[in-house]
Amino acid sequence: MDQTENQRDAAFPELAEHPELPQPYLSPPELPVSEDMLPEKGPGVARKSATPLQESLRHLRRDIRAMISLGVILFFVLLAIVGPSIYQHIGGSYQSTLNGTVGPDQYHNFAHQELDRLNEGPSAQYWLGTDSIGRDLLARLMQGVLVSILVALLVEIVDIGLGVTLGVLAGYYGGWLDQVLARFTDVMFAFPGLLFVILLAGILGDWASTALATIPIVGPNGNARLLLVSMAIAVTVWPLMARYARGQTLQLKQQQFVEAARTAGTSDISIIMRHIVPNLFSIVVVASTLNIANTIIGEAGISFLGLGVQPPGSSIGIMISNAAGLIDTYPWEILLPSLVLVIIVLAFSFLGDGLRDAFDPHSKD
Amino acid sequence: MFLFLLKRLIGLVFVLICVTFITFIMGYLAPGDPIRGLLGPHFNPITYVQLKHVYGLDLPWYQQYFNFLAHLMRFDFGLSFEVQGRAVWDILKDGVPTSLELGFWGLLIQLLIGIPMGVVSALRAGSWIDTTNMSIALVLYAIPSFVFGVLLQVVIVWLHLNAGFQWPVSGWGTPWHYSWSDIQFKLIPILVYAAIGIAFFARLTRTSTLEILRKDYIRTARAKGLIENIVIYRHALRNAMIPIITALGVSIGFLVVGAFFIENVFNISGIGYITIASVQTRDYPVIQATTVLLACAVVMGNLISDILYTVVDPRIKAA
Repeated sequence: MDQTENQRDAAFPELAEHPELPQPYLSPPELPVSEDMLPEKGPGVARKSATPLQESLRHLRRDIRAMISLGVILFFVLLAIVGPSIYQHIGGSYQSTLNGTVGPDQYHNFAHQELDRLNEGPSAQYWLGTDSIGRDLLARLMQGVLVSILVALLVEIVDIGLGVTLGVLAGYYGGWLDQVLARFTDVMFAFPGLLFVILLAGILGDWASTALATIPIVGPNGNARLLLVSMAIAVTVWPLMARYARGQTLQLKQQQFVEAARTAGTSDISIIMRHIVPNLFSIVVVASTLNIANTIIGEAGISFLGLGVQPPGSSIGIMISNAAGLIDTYPWEILLPSLVLVIIVLAFSFLGDGLRDAFDPHSKD
Repeated sequence: MFLFLLKRLIGLVFVLICVTFITFIMGYLAPGDPIRGLLGPHFNPITYVQLKHVYGLDLPWYQQYFNFLAHLMRFDFGLSFEVQGRAVWDILKDGVPTSLELGFWGLLIQLLIGIPMGVVSALRAGSWIDTTNMSIALVLYAIPSFVFGVLLQVVIVWLHLNAGFQWPVSGWGTPWHYSWSDIQFKLIPILVYAAIGIAFFARLTRTSTLEILRKDYIRTARAKGLIENIVIYRHALRNAMIPIITALGVSIGFLVVGAFFIENVFNISGIGYITIASVQTRDYPVIQATTVLLACAVVMGNLISDILYTVVDPRIKAA
């Protein structure tokens, strides 16, 4: 069994397992051994050497592709969060034939329709033009990116929370928890995650649209299902995080500093909180960055199938499916969200690769 | 070897039981009364009770679950909630050959293109061929299949409008028939479907071949003057195939999920398309049936890859 699992691990570098994920603090030079224990440094030498984290960040700063990706991600995050409120203050009021006088706070809203301004090209009023029912494409795009980011954030909160907690406990204590976790992860790996999300969104979608819309922040605008989709995605991804955390914990547990802490009478809780969890930082950062790329694709896909965000809400997936009938007349409307999606996904993948290289001591020259 | 296969088999049966249970319980807990939905706003209470009985919804949940399992064994997926008395299988059966065909060609093409791409890359590591192959793989891997499909449709339509190029952008011809017009329909969806798998297998093959080429026994084989072709084909590639065979199971999972998107992008009435349509009409039994069917496909894929694995890797037999 072990043999096959090892084979499997070697088989999917970018899928279920990331064997090349960093094992940062395990190689001798990076152990948090206090400096004066090293023979070549006398007690009088006060030079402070860079911490492993600083080393990694320096390595990351030299990685041009990762830094460009980081810039792209920051740009889209800013665009999604600050963009709409700025955009809604740009431009004068406009005499609409159907809606009377409307200000930019209305016609630059992602859900606002001007039914006689369909499929327009970019203009001073509509910077990226309008869609097939007269909504501002830039506003919808910003809202769509916001949705992607929110879903990624929600998924990662659950993913890291559940995955790290259960993974550390399973790795530290072993026993039945470890067994249950192992069997559960096996099931989740054998079953395609997105299929589960499709099933859940399909069956519980209508309930979510009404029940979850009463939660204040979620509100109407068809975003209620996002919560459902996020939780469904989170359920399918956390076992992988748990497996990383477990593996790392197993290795850390055998390190001398943990043994020393235990000998000194430190309780299990504080060993876990002070010695294990902080050392999971790099593996968690890398794994979640790479996972965000898949989550964003997943959310866009689910919304594309009509199971995610509901109209009048916006999502990159919904923008693509809305424009699917217009490829012969207005291909721009489908190219725009498609390209943005590909750029965001590539940026997260590149950043994840960069972080992995930066945190992995073996790739340092 | 038998112990190994037995263990895997038990694991996979466990997966199936979990899947059927989750599927069932979600349908069971789903809000709304399907019988009311079926009957419309004005109905006779007696008809309601009778129909509830016909659908078996008046039983406690564990009996419903066992009925669900017992029916599954007989390939009976129950009755539709949308069309009164219509069997779910009746709705799905037209989509099955199409989806199977899509899956078959998708898998075949990812292996036939992906593996040679990876082998060539590994043997010429660092050359321009390697760089090109891996860049293509990177792009194919990052673009979601529905985006890729849509982008190709845009290109075809643009070519049609500007160069008079004739090519269908949606639909599927007759399943398992290959006249020229069928091929025209099927070519693009199959290629888009296979794209992510091509990238996956190309990268996997490259990694695993490079790893084998660094092994001592390859150096020994070369040192004793073996012809390079024999070194590569008999010693390197055979061993490099082991992780690829293990990955077959996973790639079937990819294909199953991919089918939902490809069938919806290209309007192919396979089971993915039918299921999404059923979601819109809240026909839960259809969604449940699809999930169970697809889970079976994934489990079968895993099992086949396990069996192949014992054939290829003799170390398993010893264990």
